[in-house]
Amino acid sequence: MKAANNQTTRRLLMLALSGALMSGCVTSRIENIRENTTGIAEGEGIVIMAKSYHLGNETEAKFISCVGNSVGRGSKGLHVIPNTEFVDALFPWFEPRTAPAEAKGLPTLMSRPGVAQKIKDKGVRYVVWLDGETEKVAGGGSMSCAAGPGGGGCFGFAWWQNDSNYEASVWDLDGLENAGTVSADVSGTSYLPAIVVPIPLLARTQNKACNALADQLRLFIISDEQV
Amino acid sequence: MHQSRKIVPALLTAMLVASCGGANVTVNDPSIPKPLIVPLPLNVAAKYPDVFDHFVHEEKVMGKEKWSIDLGRSNRLLFTQLFDSMFTEFNVVATDEDPKDLMFDALIEPSIDAFEFSVPSQSQTDEFAVWIRYRIKIFDNEGVQIANWPIAAYGKSLAGSVGGDHALQRAAILAMRDAAALIILQMDKATGISKLSEAHVNRDMPSSETEDIPLQTTAAEETPDESS
Repeated sequence: MKAANNQTTRRLLMLALSGALMSGCVTSRIENIRENTTGIAEGEGIVIMAKSYHLGNETEAKFISCVGNSVGRGSKGLHVIPNTEFVDALFPWFEPRTAPAEAKGLPTLMSRPGVAQKIKDKGVRYVVWLDGETEKVAGGGSMSCAAGPGGGGCFGFAWWQNDSNYEASVWDLDGLENAGTVSADVSGTSYLPAIVVPIPLLARTQNKACNALADQLRLFIISDEQV
Repeated sequence: MHQSRKIVPALLTAMLVASCGGANVTVNDPSIPKPLIVPLPLNVAAKYPDVFDHFVHEEKVMGKEKWSIDLGRSNRLLFTQLFDSMFTEFNVVATDEDPKDLMFDALIEPSIDAFEFSVPSQSQTDEFAVWIRYRIKIFDNEGVQIANWPIAAYGKSLAGSVGGDHALQRAAILAMRDAAALIILQMDKATGISKLSEAHVNRDMPSSETEDIPLQTTAAEETPDESS
């Protein structure tokens, strides 16, 4: 019984070690610029949306859902209203073509019939607009793979660098103003050495940017610090 | 054992063929949410072209993939749902029905001028994009055309998250939803359709000044672009 336990512990340690080894190097910078005081009351929530693709924004859908999940997770998690539910409830005022491009468009939007009431019913205090994307900025190396009746394999070395740059603008629907922005700039290089079997050492820049941005966003919204 | 050696290459070949062969995509219901708007006090009728019941668009990419999208009756469903929310009274006129036999303030005739889409192998991105150019003609109750409004709608969807055919389907639905949002937002400004309600009120009043109401809009001046 004890021997089995030891074996399990050893396997877990090996897994953790290989997990740590199999990730590439990542550097990150998280910043926030506060323009107005924030704070969130019981029963209030936030919506996380991508800036319009009509404005050239390319933010990935999976990044938006990742930030939404991270912001809502844990004991200090915020109430995140699903963006499709919010956009559908306020159709057509938050469509890619019709959503206000700047916070100064909020008073006009809120004066439209039914909009303020619908936002109140949904309990939305802040709209967070995500902008940015993950891009491969450099890469190199070479690798060749071959397969035959007896088996196959790869040989070589490849690397690439990804940059994940995202910015979240926080709009206060109560004060009808821009509360500020939180940004995450994460850069990392992934490696893929292969001697028969390729071993990926991945720098998960997008995942890191998601978690860092979500943590900072949560602090930014909860905080009652003065401007 | 022998059997599995035959099955594996067959499966691999099938996967390769499937991954580069395009797809046939069908859009059945582009349902839009109920708009958060106050309907215009107008009795409106709409007459749809036959193509609104069976619209199919095909595109062959660089001699490799063949994509086709079948919108079926989705344009009819979209415009019916849209106009039903935009006006206090709305009816669809059958193709063979004479609008002169009906009572309405405005008759709307929407049509499709052009439909285009791009797939990732064309755009060198992982996006599917759809462009639809609709044209909306509006007539008053005497059959006089008061507006001829072209609108361009756009939708895009990433291939990675949902798979090729679903991404194209989603891009088409987003383009139709974009058209709906644009129509809600700008139709009155671009066509002056609400003035037909005033015309209706003024016509019923003893001293009518209907002729003074400027119904012809700049949108009506535009001539259809038949080049595409």
